[in-house]
Amino acid sequence: MGHMGPLAPIGTAPARTEIPLTQATTILAFKFQGGVLVAGDRRATAGNTVVYDRADKVLEIDRHSIMAIAGVPATAWEMARVLEHSFQFFRRTQLQEMSVDGKVRALSKLLRDNFGFVLQGAGVVVPIFATYDAGSDPAARLYFYDAMGAQFEVADDAATGSGSPAVRGILYYENSWGKKPLAKLSEDEAVTVALRALDTAAESDTATGGVDRNAKIFPVIKIVSREGITTLPEKKIAAVFKRSVA
Amino acid sequence: MIEEPYRWVEAIANRAEYIETQLASGSPIVALGYRDGILFLTLGKTRQKLFEIYDRIAMGAIGHPGDIERLRMAAIELASTEGFTRSAADVSLRRLAHYSLSPVLKTAFEQVYGAPYLARLLFAEIGAKQENDLFLRLDYDGAIATNSATFAQTRQDFGALSGTRQSTELMEKYLAAEHSAGATFERALKLCLDTWTVGQLALGDSGVKELPAREKILAERKERLRAAGIEAAILDRDDRSALRYRTLDETEIRSALGD
Repeated sequence: MGHMGPLAPIGTAPARTEIPLTQATTILAFKFQGGVLVAGDRRATAGNTVVYDRADKVLEIDRHSIMAIAGVPATAWEMARVLEHSFQFFRRTQLQEMSVDGKVRALSKLLRDNFGFVLQGAGVVVPIFATYDAGSDPAARLYFYDAMGAQFEVADDAATGSGSPAVRGILYYENSWGKKPLAKLSEDEAVTVALRALDTAAESDTATGGVDRNAKIFPVIKIVSREGITTLPEKKIAAVFKRSVA
Repeated sequence: MIEEPYRWVEAIANRAEYIETQLASGSPIVALGYRDGILFLTLGKTRQKLFEIYDRIAMGAIGHPGDIERLRMAAIELASTEGFTRSAADVSLRRLAHYSLSPVLKTAFEQVYGAPYLARLLFAEIGAKQENDLFLRLDYDGAIATNSATFAQTRQDFGALSGTRQSTELMEKYLAAEHSAGATFERALKLCLDTWTVGQLALGDSGVKELPAREKILAERKERLRAAGIEAAILDRDDRSALRYRTLDETEIRSALGD
C-alpha cells in the first residue's frame, strides 16, 4: 500500500516523451521556370522494415494544390482526404474558389488538431503544401509546416522527412552555385535536380526509396502551374533518369 | 376546408397552377451529350443557373432563387457526405434524385399549408461511356423524367428544361431530330443554342407550337445572342482528373462559335 497522504504526488510525473521529429521519407519541392515541382520517394517503412515500395506521398488536393507528406501515412492520408473535401465543398457551395490563405490555414488547423496524438507518440505528420495563387499577385506558392501546424512560406525550396538534410544541402548548393538558380531551370533540368537529390538522400537514409533501379520504381513528380497540376509520366522520368542520373 | 378530399385535390390543382405561372417565363436550359462530355447551356439574364453538384454531377435550375438555393445545398450536402464517408464512386445521381430530392419536393408540394418549392431542376451525370450518361429532370412536385430507354422511349443523349411543358417538349423534339451521338464540341454548342432558341420561341401564350423553320431559328438566335450572355459548363469525359465540371467563359464559347 502506498502512502496516500496529501503531500504525495498525484499520479507519477510523466516520463519525458520523445517526439519523433524526423519522418521516414524524403519529400522535396522547389520553384522552377514552369511553376513548383514536388517530388517524393515511394518507400513506406515501419521501424527497420520496408513495408511498401509504391507509396504515393505526393497527393493532389484540388486542381491547383498538392500536399506532399512525410510522417504517419494513416493520419496524413486522412488529412489529405479532409482537405480535399473541404476545399471542394467550399467551392461548390460558395461558388468561388477558397483563397490560398484559407487553404493554408485549413491544413494548419488539421495539424494543430492532431498534435495531441503527436504528443502521445503516434501520428506525426510534416507536410509540404504547393498551390497556385490566382489572386491579385498570381504566382505558384510553396509552404512547409511543422508538426504543430505553423506554416512557413518559402521563396525557393523546401524538403521534409528523414532524408531531407541531404536534399536541403543539394538544393541550397544548386540554387547558390549551380549552373543556374533553381527558379531558372527548365522542366527537364528541374526533374534532373529532383532525381539526383532523392537518389543522394537514399544513399545514406535507409527510409528513403530513391530510384529502384532493379524494379524500375521512380519517384512521383508533380508540377503545379497556372494551368493546374501535371503528373509527370513514368516514361518521361525514366528517360531523364537514364540521360542525366544513372 | 381541405380536410375534405375534394377540397384537397382542388387546393393541389390551384397550387400547381400557381407554380406553373411562376415558372412559365424561365429561360430554357439544354444538356447535351457529345464526343468528349456533356455540355450544359442557357442564355443568362442576371443570375447563375448552372451549378456543380459533385465530381460527375451538374445541375441547371429555373425558379425562385431562394428555393433553387435550398435544393442545390441539399444536393451538394447529400453528395458530399456520401462521397466523404464512402467514396466518390458511391455518389449517384439516380439515388440522389429518387431517394432524397424527389420525396422532399413531393412532400413540400402536397403539404398545402406550407410553401412548395418554386423550382424545376435538370441534372446530368457523366458516365465512363456516352451510353452511361444520365440526364434527369426533377419537377416541383417530385416527378422525375430521365433519358433512359423505356418501352415508350429510346435512350436519349440529352435533357431539356423549360418554363412550360410545351416549350420543353418542343426542345426535346428538336434535339431528337438533330442530335448525333459522336458530335464535336462545336457542333454540340451550336445545337444547344438552336435548341435553346426553339425553347424560347415556344414560351408564352403566343409561343410557337410546331418546330419553327431553320431560318427563323437562326435569325432569332442571332438576335438573342446580341442581347444576352451565354452561360455554359461541361462535364468532361476525360477521367484523368476526378473533377469533371468546368464552366466555360464567354470568349471560349464565342470563339468556338466563330463569332
